[in-house]
Amino acid sequence: MTVMSPAPADLKHLYYQMLRIRRAEEAIARRYAEQQMRCPTHLCIGEEAIAVGVCAHLTAQDKVFSNHRGHGHYLAKGGDLPRLLAELYGYAEGCCGGRGGSMHLTDLEAGFVASTPIVGGTVPLAAGYAWAEQMKKSDAAQGSASVAGGRMPEATNVVVIFFGDGCFEEGVMHETLNFAVLKQLPLLFICENNQYSVMTPLAERQPKRDIYKIAAAHGLNTFSGDGNRADEVFQLAQSAVTNARNGLGPQFLELHTHRWPEHCGPNEDDDLGYRSAGELAEWKLRCPLLQTRQMLLGLQLSNDAELVQMDAQLTEEIEQAFAWALQGSRPTIDSMRQHLYA
Amino acid sequence: MRDVVMMSYGEAIRAALDDALAKFPEMLLIGEGVPDPKTIFGTTQGLREKYGAERVLDMPLAENGMTGICIGAALAGMRPVLVHQRIDFALLSVDQLVNNAAKWHYMFDGQQQVPLVIRVIIGRGWGQGPQHSQSLQAMFAQVPGLKVVMPTTAGDAYHFMLAAIADNNPVLFIEHRWLHHIQGEVDKHCPMAELSGAALLRQGTEITLAAFSHMSIEALKAATVLASYGIDAEVLDMRCVSPLDVESVAASLAKTGGKLVIADCAPELASTGHQLLSKLVLTHGHHLQQVPRLIAYPNHPVPTSHFVANHYYPGAEQIASAVLDMLDRSELTESVIGALQSDLPKDQPDRSFVGPF
Ligand SMILES: Cc1ncc(C[n+]2csc(CCOP(=O)(O)OP(=O)(O)O)c2C)c(N)n1
Ligand SMILES: [Mg+2]
Repeated sequence: MTVMSPAPADLKHLYYQMLRIRRAEEAIARRYAEQQMRCPTHLCIGEEAIAVGVCAHLTAQDKVFSNHRGHGHYLAKGGDLPRLLAELYGYAEGCCGGRGGSMHLTDLEAGFVASTPIVGGTVPLAAGYAWAEQMKKSDAAQGSASVAGGRMPEATNVVVIFFGDGCFEEGVMHETLNFAVLKQLPLLFICENNQYSVMTPLAERQPKRDIYKIAAAHGLNTFSGDGNRADEVFQLAQSAVTNARNGLGPQFLELHTHRWPEHCGPNEDDDLGYRSAGELAEWKLRCPLLQTRQMLLGLQLSNDAELVQMDAQLTEEIEQAFAWALQGSRPTIDSMRQHLYA
Repeated sequence: MRDVVMMSYGEAIRAALDDALAKFPEMLLIGEGVPDPKTIFGTTQGLREKYGAERVLDMPLAENGMTGICIGAALAGMRPVLVHQRIDFALLSVDQLVNNAAKWHYMFDGQQQVPLVIRVIIGRGWGQGPQHSQSLQAMFAQVPGLKVVMPTTAGDAYHFMLAAIADNNPVLFIEHRWLHHIQGEVDKHCPMAELSGAALLRQGTEITLAAFSHMSIEALKAATVLASYGIDAEVLDMRCVSPLDVESVAASLAKTGGKLVIADCAPELASTGHQLLSKLVLTHGHHLQQVPRLIAYPNHPVPTSHFVANHYYPGAEQIASAVLDMLDRSELTESVIGALQSDLPKDQPDRSFVGPF
């Protein structure tokens, strides 16, 4: 199949979505110091292009699962921003009623099923979800074949699981890859390789070899690329999503990127010295927003005035989302007991 | 010779690891973040520099596999200490711990042994939430072949860590995150500790408080305030979960007229208190003169929101009310609870802890 570079409107959309995530994360970081968002919070600043480039190809019926660093995935999939913020504050209006905080998000209307913080925990769940989608589709195909006589069944909904390079070390990851290939699931594995698990560099945890090649050995169709180039992620994900929709089985993308803030929390932590000298600065030069902005301006698809206005509009949206969230109500103590069993 | 130093619980753990690394050349210290800049809340600080990267090391994010790998190394004569920053992460390794480590010595007729320590930390506060603040001590204590300890004081942390490392069995060493900053006396020249037995934290005559881990701190707080109202409670720290020291509790009850309050940092369903009670009933039932009380968490996960999580955790106030109720002194409850109140937000162990982990 031919791989298309993003059309002008797509490129602008990618930039808009990345900027929205960046500004939301920055606002969270700024306000975290007020000590009202009292939960462990993992920001995705520097890694926005991956969530945005992948989710650009998903419909509301497609599903996303994610991990501890989930704000970007949630927003890119169309998750409700005010309810995310209310969740961080622990209010009843939050997307989990305050029960989850930053590390447990959900927005079923948007097709964002869940993020949870036990590393690897959601990986098999995404596969199970994709398996069910596949079974439902073949039921529907059999049903429609008898009615409409051999009409092509509609393409399958796909499921996406976002995870990190650290997660790739968990056993459950490989158990899931095996099953996904065995059943040819409509599932996309998106590995955000930022070279660190907390503060431990990849070289202390894995031998020198490519992660995607291991997925390839499991029998997946694999892609690897620059996770800081939204246009590249967009193109790779387009092929991968199309493949998965058309019954070509699970797809694996390894995307290289870098987290700017500390692993958990609102601050920078370059002073701790676990990154090599100049590493963060170099990655900042390769900022996904900066690169897409330069493309937009270079190709004359946009101009400074338009981008300034976009920024102002997003800042306004985020301010309003905070204002809404901050008016939230406290979950009642009695409600704490609800929903232990369905 | 006594050589007592004051140090925090966290510093005591670090000191014990340091001394054990010096004493046992076969000891390994391994875990996610062990040599990173934050050094497991400071407890492994400087140890890689001192003992080398071969013995003090990070690991892949692979709890189950690495537990099995440490068991294998232990079989071959090493003494691994494997650290998880949360007990919740150790759940991934339950297969290796329960099916292999706990049974190896037994099922091979005593011919092989697994000198392994698993260090885990119970999280609490600052929105740790459902998957980062579980209390699983009772679950692990139900596995024959595993020793489970949860020391409360800095002194016990030091001596139990050394004893756990010297022990030729798998030992689950449970720390509570809210104990790490608390100062205590450590006498390094004590003889090697036994990994058994409760500790007497406060002598008393009217009622027995048997508490686990961080709840022992709460029980002591309650007892101190109760004393100023003329009520004399005895406080036992149940620092070993398996084996459980029922004898000390029974002996205390003989003194305090059979009145018992148990306080555990776990949901009621998952409380070791039940095990303690049933053993007491079976072996010393006549000592229980009054229906005992169990102070534990509600039977559901910890919600993240601090607005409700703050009400999830019982503490000194609930312990004191139970005591007053049992002693028919409820008229004091209001003033005792008033005296116990603190202005510290309930999701912080001390003011220096401002999250996020
Ligand atoms: C099973 C488990 N082990 C350890 C942790 C602690 N932990 C939280 S995030 C993380 C690092 C994950 O690294 P990676 O998968 O690369 O994601 P990143 O944070 O880099 O986005 C670790 C070790 C955990 N939450 N769950
Ligand atoms: Mg990573």
